[in-house]
Amino acid sequence: MSASGEHPALVPGRWFDGHSSKTRHVIVSLRPTPQGPSLVLHPLSQAGVDPVVFACKQVGWPEAWNERKPQPRVVVDLRDHGSVEIDAVADWRAALAAAGERPGIAQRMQTRWPMLLGVTAAAVIGLTLFYRYGTPWAATQLTRFVPLGWETSVAENVLKQMDDGTLKPSKLPPERQAQLKARFDVLVQQSPATLHRYPDYRPPLTLEFRAGMGANAFALPGGKIVMTDGIVKAAADKGLPDDALVGVLAHEIGHVVHRHTTRMVVEQGVLNMGLGLALGDVSGIVSTGASVMTGLAYSRSHEREADCYAIALMRHTALPTAPMGQLLLAIARDEEDEEGKGKSKDKGSDKDKKAPGDNNPADAAHAPTPQSAASAPDTARKRKLGKEAESHPVWSLLSSHPETVKRATELEQGHAPHCAKS
Amino acid sequence: MNQERSGGAAGPMSTFMPQAIDAYPVEFTGSGGEYFRVWIVNVLLSIVTLGIYTPWARRRTAQYFYSHTLVAGSPLEFTAQQRKMVMGFVMLMMLTIAYNIAVRTGQDTAVGLFLLTGAALAPFIWASAMRFRLAATRWRGLRLQFTASWKEVYIASWPVFALALVWFGVFFGMQILSPDLAQALEAVEEESTKAPMPSFTPAMGGLLLLGLVLSILCFIRLEYNFKSLLVLKAQLGAEKGRWKPVYMDFVKIWLATVAVFILCVVGIAVLVGVLAGSSIALMASQSERMGLWMIVVGIVSAVVGFFMLILASAPARAYREARMFQLMWDNIGVSHVARFKSRLKSGSYIGLRIKNMLLTLLTLGLYRPFARVSEYRMKVESVTLHIKGGVEQVAGAMVRQQQGALGDALADAAGLDLIG
Repeated sequence: MSASGEHPALVPGRWFDGHSSKTRHVIVSLRPTPQGPSLVLHPLSQAGVDPVVFACKQVGWPEAWNERKPQPRVVVDLRDHGSVEIDAVADWRAALAAAGERPGIAQRMQTRWPMLLGVTAAAVIGLTLFYRYGTPWAATQLTRFVPLGWETSVAENVLKQMDDGTLKPSKLPPERQAQLKARFDVLVQQSPATLHRYPDYRPPLTLEFRAGMGANAFALPGGKIVMTDGIVKAAADKGLPDDALVGVLAHEIGHVVHRHTTRMVVEQGVLNMGLGLALGDVSGIVSTGASVMTGLAYSRSHEREADCYAIALMRHTALPTAPMGQLLLAIARDEEDEEGKGKSKDKGSDKDKKAPGDNNPADAAHAPTPQSAASAPDTARKRKLGKEAESHPVWSLLSSHPETVKRATELEQGHAPHCAKS
Repeated sequence: MNQERSGGAAGPMSTFMPQAIDAYPVEFTGSGGEYFRVWIVNVLLSIVTLGIYTPWARRRTAQYFYSHTLVAGSPLEFTAQQRKMVMGFVMLMMLTIAYNIAVRTGQDTAVGLFLLTGAALAPFIWASAMRFRLAATRWRGLRLQFTASWKEVYIASWPVFALALVWFGVFFGMQILSPDLAQALEAVEEESTKAPMPSFTPAMGGLLLLGLVLSILCFIRLEYNFKSLLVLKAQLGAEKGRWKPVYMDFVKIWLATVAVFILCVVGIAVLVGVLAGSSIALMASQSERMGLWMIVVGIVSAVVGFFMLILASAPARAYREARMFQLMWDNIGVSHVARFKSRLKSGSYIGLRIKNMLLTLLTLGLYRPFARVSEYRMKVESVTLHIKGGVEQVAGAMVRQQQGALGDALADAAGLDLIG
């Protein structure tokens, strides 16, 4: 406004010098300098007093909140020299612009729509990239520094808690156990080092049997793999060869050598903290929801990675992966049938969609709490077979495992598009 | 006297009399839409910087509210140094990470040490937060100050220690009253199964109730002590704060809050009872699908129950906040210079809070900035400042900027909000 022309604009103000609440009328002018505008105070009360000059850095410049409707009064912070109140806010803004003010990014976003939209787009892209690639990568790298001893002690605690809770001693005959353990040991011995992400990570891989938890298998960090009686029985019932169970074991070995549990602890830590800080002010629901969804996405990618490992290992040892895929489908179908018995068919769909993961002790196993440090049970694909679940991709976002039919098909074919080496 | 009477200064105009009392209603010139913009910028930048923007966001928020709050025609200023706030934030983050690592790796001693230190330092944290906040607040070039010494702060925290004593007493009193219980406790310690179930006598119930009442009284005393210390030891220039409320005022507010809460719970219980009764009747008529419906009803009622609990306590919480605000801002002042009066109506504040809560829930949190502004406006604009002898007379005491802002970051983590 009045800031046009050669002369710097003069804006009237009231100066409070910080020693008392007394007003001193002043004229404020702004001079452009290479560092930004500098502020000059001309006291009006006493004649002949030299003007006081403040360099750009000595002034706390008030942010402009609204270009079109400026606030009625701004206060300029002169640090230890008190503050200046200015009523002619429009003149002040114009003078600032004329003196070469360089507003920060926050102010530019605050007052300019294109800037706000630009940063919004950057935020969406940056967030996606960071949580899609950045966090998993960082977790993979950080995990290199986690000692095996820590993993083993966590695993011991978890298994003890589970033994006190849902798990019971296995009822499989010792011969059968020995038979499967022998196959497992052969598999471990034949596993090539080229498949390993962590070349120096050589945990002692052991297999144990338990009853309870339905047809399932899970890997604990540090190399302990647990198979339930249920899954052994399920394979027998379907007339599938032991290769199916060996495939499941290969998948679990994949979890161990990729150190998925440890990586999940790191990933979940980054998620909770980052998203909590970024979205916490929006609402708890949004920030928790976002970190849960991202956590599930990581979990799905871990499952895919373990599947790829299983496919590669089975190929290396010249074993078929098809029986494993059939076992996966069969178990999922069994569980669906069981559920179907419990309720009428037409009402089923609602509940089906709601529950993936909730009633499944296996799915919960991905949260990084000590109780659930067990990694990656195989058969969590329950309820996903129904057509209603497949028809809606949104529900697959709420699952810790990739879609069963797709997974089973990939396993039966022995290769998957997302696997790097197959 | 040369008085500044710009802005919306209303009230008796008697500028001739040097000792006249002038009334200045506090004004808030911000708006919900404008603050939404401030807030969304903060959220976006926090996302882009993975949360590191938080201290800048806090400063912008405080500056927005402060600079739009006009006290006797002059805006407040929030002058905290950004560098200090960032350092406080970084230190807090490092403490949080250290604590989380200790928890995750199961180092019980370290976790215990963290918690104990936190408890012992709580009064210190509170005081440094207040010190930081008051020192960062400036009005007409004068900084506020919080001048309480650490000794005074810890003396004012005596109810914390009294609380620990009360529960110590209850614990041992129980053992004396009921030898069975003592046995049962021992049995638990030895992890042997099936100790005889201790019988519960009226004397024990009475003791428990006494302990509960005493601890609530301790909590109220703590709140009273801290608030009065804050006002009495606050200083604007050379002028000290003035404080009139007594402990019983706080107790009365607390009793009234309990009454409001019970009223709400009863009201909601009746409502739920009627609704549940009718839906059970509906279900009974079609008993065929009973099994599934029971599950659905179970889930729905659990979710509804949780929201009801929030809903039932919301009016009581809003009521307490309003009454406390009223009590404080109706009874404090600045030495002999200024008095505050508040005309905040509890009823309309409760209404506003409930409306805001519902809208925030419905919009998944996007209404939050509007809610914040409307609540802040209602509270702040209810206050009138009465000044004797003009706003120009307050002499400054040389105050330098307060050191360190870790206290502020900690207070933020503990949920003590800068605004409101």
